[in-house]
Order: sequence, then structure tokens, then C-alpha cells
Amino acid sequence: MDYGNPRLADALAAQYVAGTLRGRARRRFDALLPGHPALQRAVREWQGRLMPLTGVLAEQPPPARVWAGIQQRLWPAEKPQPWWQRLTLWRALSGAALMAVLGLAVLIANPPAAPAPVVVVLQSTGGDPAVAGQIVASFSGDGRALVARPLTPVALQSDRVLELWWAPAQGKPKSLGLMKANGVTVLSRGQLPGGLRGSGIDHMAVSVEPPGGSPTGQPTGPVVFYGKL
Amino acid sequence: MNPLLERDWPERSRELSQLLARAGLGDRAAFGVLYERTSGHLFAVVLRIQRDRAQAEDLLQEIYVSVWKAAASFDAARSQPLTWLTHIARNRAIDSLRRAQTQPRTESLSVDDDDERPDPHEALASDDPGPLDLLGQACDKRELTRCMEHLSAAQRQSVALAFYDGLSHAEVAEQLREPLGTVKSWVRRALQTLKGCLERAAQADLKKAA
Repeated sequence: MDYGNPRLADALAAQYVAGTLRGRARRRFDALLPGHPALQRAVREWQGRLMPLTGVLAEQPPPARVWAGIQQRLWPAEKPQPWWQRLTLWRALSGAALMAVLGLAVLIANPPAAPAPVVVVLQSTGGDPAVAGQIVASFSGDGRALVARPLTPVALQSDRVLELWWAPAQGKPKSLGLMKANGVTVLSRGQLPGGLRGSGIDHMAVSVEPPGGSPTGQPTGPVVFYGKL
Repeated sequence: MNPLLERDWPERSRELSQLLARAGLGDRAAFGVLYERTSGHLFAVVLRIQRDRAQAEDLLQEIYVSVWKAAASFDAARSQPLTWLTHIARNRAIDSLRRAQTQPRTESLSVDDDDERPDPHEALASDDPGPLDLLGQACDKRELTRCMEHLSAAQRQSVALAFYDGLSHAEVAEQLREPLGTVKSWVRRALQTLKGCLERAAQADLKKAA
């Protein structure tokens, strides 16, 4: 096929746009088109002539599932965000009020002969750029105590407190109570709802709450630390 | 019936060009509006070619995915957005028919089957406009009635079946029970006549404007 022949090229472009160019001829045309500006021009001209003919077709609105499908293909939905990522940062708190957290000390309430403690490192979530570092929470082997301490003191506004939560993989978090922003917090067994083992507890987090902790029983303020068991 | 009038075509163009340009930059909301504005038209185009609704819906999704990916390459200086969109839609729809043909089918495309594709003569009697009806309406709006009169009925019918319904030359030949070579020449002549007519009409418009 001599694509240099303008009349032939035009005839092929017409067939291509009309839809009658098929099989090998069509594949050859598809392959050549990107490199042939004259052919592209012919195609555009034929498109301009023929496509408006479709204007007489009565519109057919597609069902809503088509758009849903398109969005799903283009922008696959992320897994639903866990509760500790969904809480928005209190703008008033970001910046100077919170300090980066550094070092760590872990206290074990029981002698090493007991079952090993479970240690959870909670990382700063990045929800507040001013808060970095870790909190370490350690469950004693016998489940009798939980000890938690920020690596460096977390500077909070005077009207805010830190509250510690734990949660199963799916489902609502439960409060373990308030923890100190500076120093060690010890929670005894009586304060730990249920036990750790077999509890299905999957992760822990720390949120910033008004004095006395969350008024709702669920986290209300920004989650600044998070760690998986 | 609510036909898209030919004079609407360039007016819609400006808005659609803007939406396409923004979609090309990643603007999902603009793409959503583009979908709202054009999906009814493109679905209609696809359905005429791919009569199976489930496949047509799948196709429409593929088409818009292609549109999103190619939006940045759309050149508003060189083409009309609805033309560009319609061309993508038609190509995809026709390709889907070809794909189906290479796979073993329980139904054939023979006109003897109670297939989805109606005999054009029967279609004329039904509510759903047959390809000839559509061509007739389109030509009135495009002031091509005179041009179409230069075509034989067979040329008109062949080009309408090929263009609106996405039939290949072989399928048109089968449908009209005519030799393949004859049908090819009918379609070719019809397209060339259309081209000549449009060029003369454009020149006449230029002279009027001058």
C-alpha cells in the first residue's frame, strides 16, 4: 500500500473513520498513523465530516453503576480509613503546643521468669508535624500491668490530656485511661478492660482530649501516636 | 426523541474542550462533569453498535477510562471534543464486535437468526429509527439532502449500516444480500460524495460570509 498516494490515503482515512477498515489493513493503519501527519490530518477531516452524523441519535443515559465502575477503575478506593486516621487535627493545637518525643524507658512490673511482656511501640502519626518520636507501652507478662511512657515529654496545652486506647482490628477502640505526657504511666490490671491475650486487640493509639478524657467514650481529638501489637 | 442539533455541536464544544483540558490536568470533578455532559450521547452511539446492554455498559467504562488517560493529548485547536469522544467510542464499540467474532459464539451474525440486528427494512417500520432514518435526519440538519439525492438507495443504505451500526463491508453485504465488491464500492462512492458535498457547502458558506 502506497500511503504516499494522497487519494489512497484519503480513501483509507475515510474507511478508518467510517469503521469499515478492518483486520490487517486496520492494524497497519493504526501503526502508521502516529508517524504520518498528513494521514492524521485526513483522519481529522473525516472525523469532522462523519462524527456529527451521530448527533441524531437519541441520548441514552447510562445507569449509575457505569460511573461507579469508571471511578473504581481509575481511582480504586483505598481501604476504609481506620478510626485513628480519620480524626482531624485540631488546628489550634498544631505548632508550638506539642513537642517532639524522644527517648524511652520501659518498666517491667514482674520478674523475667514470668511470661514475656508485650511491648508496643507507638509511633507519631504525622498528623501533627510538631509531634514526632515514640511512646512505648509494655504489658507485663501476667497481664497485671501496663506501663507506658513517651520517649520525650509531650508538651500539651494546659487544657489538654493524652488518652490511651486499644482496639481490635475491626471495631471501636476502648479507652485504657489517661496517660501522662511526661514520665511513666502505670495502669494496673484492674484498669485494663478484659485481658490482653485472646482479646483480639490489634493496635493501640494515643489521642489528645479535653481534661478528664474524651467525653464521649470514643476518641474525639487528634490521634498523635499509633502502634500495632 | 431529543436529537442533538447540529448547531449545538460547536457550542457544546467550548465547554467540553475546557472540561477535557482540566481532566487532562487531573481534575476529577471536571471529568465528572464531562461524563455527565457526554455519556448519554456516547452510550447511544455504543448501543447502536453493541446491542448487548451489559457489554455496552462495560464498553462505556473502558471508553471513559481511555478518555481520562488521553485527555491531556486532546488538541482543541485541531479537533472538536465531541468528535474526538465519539470517534473513541465508535472505535471501541466496533472493536468489541470483532473480538466477539473471533471467539466461539452460540449465536451467529447471520441475518437468518433472530439476532439483535434488525433487518433495515423491518427497522424502518419499528419505533427504533433504522440507520436510513438516522441518515435522513442527519442530512436534513446538515443541508445535505441534495447530496444524498445523488446517491443511490443502495449507497445510502450501505453507508448508514456501516456507519451507524458498525457493520463491516462483509456484514453489510450479507445483510443486503449483495456481492462484497459491490458493497465496498457503494460505501466508497457514498463517502466520496459526502466529502465533495461538504466541501462545496463549506465553500458556499465562505462566499456568503465574504
